[in-house]
Amino acid sequence: MKKIHIIGIIIVAVAIGVIMSTLADAATYAQFSVVDNHPGKEFQVVGKLAKNSEITYDPKVNVDLFTFNMVDNEGIEKKVYFHGAKPQDFERSEQVVVTGKMEEGQFHADKILMKCPSKYNNGNTEGFTEIEANT
Amino acid sequence: MEISYVGENLISGQLGNLFIILSFVCSGLAAFAYFKSIHSPELESASWKKMARTFFYIHVGSIVGMVSILFYLLFNHHFEYYYVWRHSSTDLAMRYIFSCFWEGQEGSFMLWSLWHGVLGIILLNTSKKWEAGTMTVLSVVQLLLGSMLLGVYIFDIQIGSNPFILLREHPDMLNLPFVQNPEYLNFVEGTGLNPLLQNYWMTIHPPIVFLGFALTLIPFTFAITSLYIKDYTSWLKPALPWTFFGIAVLGLGVLMGGAWAYEALSFGGFWAWDPVENSSLVPWLILVGAGHLMLINKVKPNSMFSTYLFSVLSFLLVMYSSYLTKSGILGETSVHSFADGLPGQLIFILLFLVIGAFTLLAIRFKKLPKQQKEEELWSREFWMFLGALVLLISCFQITFSTSIPVINAIFGTEMAPPTNANEHYNSWQLPLATLVAIFIGIGHYLKYKKTDSKKFFKDTAVSAILSLVITIAVATSLQFQHYYHGLLMFAATYAVVANADYWFRILKGSIKKSGAAIAHIGFGFLLIGALISAGNKEIISRNNSEIEIKMNENENANKENIMLIKGDTVLMGNHFISYEGREKEGHNIYYKVNYYQIDDNGKYERQFQLRPFVQLNEQMGNVPEPATKHFWSRDIFTHVTYADLDDPALDDPNAYEEADTSLVKIGDTLFATNSIIVVKEVIKDIDLAANNLQPDDIAVGLRLEAMNVKGQTFDASPTLVIRQNRLFSIPSEVDPLGLKFNFKKINPETGEFTILKQEKTSNASDFIIMQAIVFPYINILWIGCIIMTLGSIIAVINRVRFPKLRS
Repeated sequence: MKKIHIIGIIIVAVAIGVIMSTLADAATYAQFSVVDNHPGKEFQVVGKLAKNSEITYDPKVNVDLFTFNMVDNEGIEKKVYFHGAKPQDFERSEQVVVTGKMEEGQFHADKILMKCPSKYNNGNTEGFTEIEANT
Repeated sequence: MEISYVGENLISGQLGNLFIILSFVCSGLAAFAYFKSIHSPELESASWKKMARTFFYIHVGSIVGMVSILFYLLFNHHFEYYYVWRHSSTDLAMRYIFSCFWEGQEGSFMLWSLWHGVLGIILLNTSKKWEAGTMTVLSVVQLLLGSMLLGVYIFDIQIGSNPFILLREHPDMLNLPFVQNPEYLNFVEGTGLNPLLQNYWMTIHPPIVFLGFALTLIPFTFAITSLYIKDYTSWLKPALPWTFFGIAVLGLGVLMGGAWAYEALSFGGFWAWDPVENSSLVPWLILVGAGHLMLINKVKPNSMFSTYLFSVLSFLLVMYSSYLTKSGILGETSVHSFADGLPGQLIFILLFLVIGAFTLLAIRFKKLPKQQKEEELWSREFWMFLGALVLLISCFQITFSTSIPVINAIFGTEMAPPTNANEHYNSWQLPLATLVAIFIGIGHYLKYKKTDSKKFFKDTAVSAILSLVITIAVATSLQFQHYYHGLLMFAATYAVVANADYWFRILKGSIKKSGAAIAHIGFGFLLIGALISAGNKEIISRNNSEIEIKMNENENANKENIMLIKGDTVLMGNHFISYEGREKEGHNIYYKVNYYQIDDNGKYERQFQLRPFVQLNEQMGNVPEPATKHFWSRDIFTHVTYADLDDPALDDPNAYEEADTSLVKIGDTLFATNSIIVVKEVIKDIDLAANNLQPDDIAVGLRLEAMNVKGQTFDASPTLVIRQNRLFSIPSEVDPLGLKFNFKKINPETGEFTILKQEKTSNASDFIIMQAIVFPYINILWIGCIIMTLGSIIAVINRVRFPKLRS
């Protein structure tokens, strides 16, 4: 067997490894209805800040706890516990993407991606801000 | 009825549109004429070529024209143009006007085309027999890019997006009332530039990245031409300097992007595997592979297929990246992608180029020079080839993971990008980088064709041992957390040491041939800097307090933020920090954070102040920007994660809260949020005249001493005055503590005094939540980057000046 064939086989094997690892590491977009049924599994949920949602952040009690209510694209509302500081301008966000999982009946998020509207709706997604909880 | 608008400068836009059309048409004509000249007999060919050159010069001239006009419009705030209105504003500092130019898609396409034009002019004058072919390809690419600026409709399909469209004619604006107002320019104001881009890096980073992108086109044109005219090897020599110049420029550009992210963004680091970062890194890695494959195939054309693959792939990946970032497909996955693209047209351009290039390569595949004899294991070409394959795998991994949204779009899947991007990418890229660094270390000691293995081991043993010693010393003193950090550290150190050894011992320190060695030393340092600064970064604001609020049993609430109340001093890492207060300057609120050390006498000694800030921006949202203190051996990065921006005290920092009334005796203590106040004594001998009092007034003072948490004391002496039968008091303020005292009454029977204590509103409400990270030895990364760029440029210069020089 020539060296080039050995190399070829290795490359194909590694490429398959790359694909598998990406598929394994990839998170899944889901709605709260699905998230509810899979406690402990991580999902990304796209939705909006619920109207009249109670937004609580009391750094004097806990610097790294921030809660709010979110409505997913199917209209289901859920309270989200985010373990990090409250993102600047959160109330203005028009779309939020949270990454987290159900634990003991509560949705705990460790990452928030929020899109703030620009006044003139220019569609430029640079309004996106990513806020990561600290790991 | 026609409305005659007042104050519009229409002529500039018309001229701009003329240039757009002229440049588009001329790139097409140049492509056609150049193509004809490939196939025509000698005499005719020369006249076609002459014509093509004229068209190309007109094309480049037109690009210069449209760029100048857009700058003119931006500089003079002509908000009647949508692009100017959308990307700039009157109050924007002049130095950021450049950033406005390339903030939008149209401007960035213009910049990119301009670089292609400039490079085309150099190529046309230097490439001799390759001119006709390479310039045909380049002109076709210019035609495709030019179509992105047309802004015309063919059967309701929009082709391109015009930078000179008027505000009132823009589709988003048509039904708005201002369009009916002939004097709308009197009140229209631009929406301004994204605050994140108002940074000096953003004036220099985009032109450099786009020059790097443009340079990837040149090896592409050479590769396509040589396949087309079936001359498979002689293109390598003229293409090489272009390729390595591209490597230098694009590498610099990518790292400048990292520097900007580090300085201006708040994710805490220089690299986050964001899709936009990835899509500029990948073409660079492929270009590096292409350059090295060209080097070995110039000596012996044994792996020509790979050389072609890499040479065309780099540019195609640039096109793919511009599709990813400009079409909006990244959607929710990227912090900075642009959604206002023309996905259809971008896909068409991308597919046209990909299918064209690969079809040609497939047709010619059988005719490529074949490998005569299998590569020797102990040959430089074998290991360089392997190195290129490692780069290919690395790129495949990055591209595949970055393309998750594309995969979703094609297959209808619902995948989201990996939650922990760093972990996901690093698990692949760290071992691959380790391999590459080892190859870089051994590369120069391997000879072309065959190497004496004994001599090889002797030559490299010293470097390997030295690197091992350095690695062990560094890994133990910095306490590396993972064994694979040690492996990468060893590989990168070895790359540096072996190349330095090669440069000094074998090349005798000669500059002429040193380019490759220096560039590789730089790359090694870059890896070391990246590894140590990211792998050993320390979040010093981690909360170590006893109070721990657990959300549930499984998971600790994360604690990486620290709360600072104005005036408080807390221990963080090995510094004491205190938040001194905030300051509003223009659109920014600066938060002054002081870092102290305790000196030998137990006194706090201020070392430095950091001023992270939040930029208030109504249109784009408020943006926090970090502040970083640079030391030679580490950086302290400080960033406000939360501050109450609606705090009324922000507008009137001197407002006081309601007063607290207390009855006190001498020796009693009062408490404020930031201090303890002791009632010291009664002052009887008050100098009436000095206090603007009348000679027959009776005045009694009370001396109070306020001590803050640092043990500093401040005196206050509120005074009670009796004038005839009336009582009034002269308040006393302690400005540094935001306190005010009033002495209201004396009760002679009990010996008690009535005191009113007032605190500034900001005392209680002024606090910030902050994060601080130490990045050790991050300077090694930047130094590595500079060395690598210098090395590549030395290599390019010497390749151009001494074409016969063997590497």
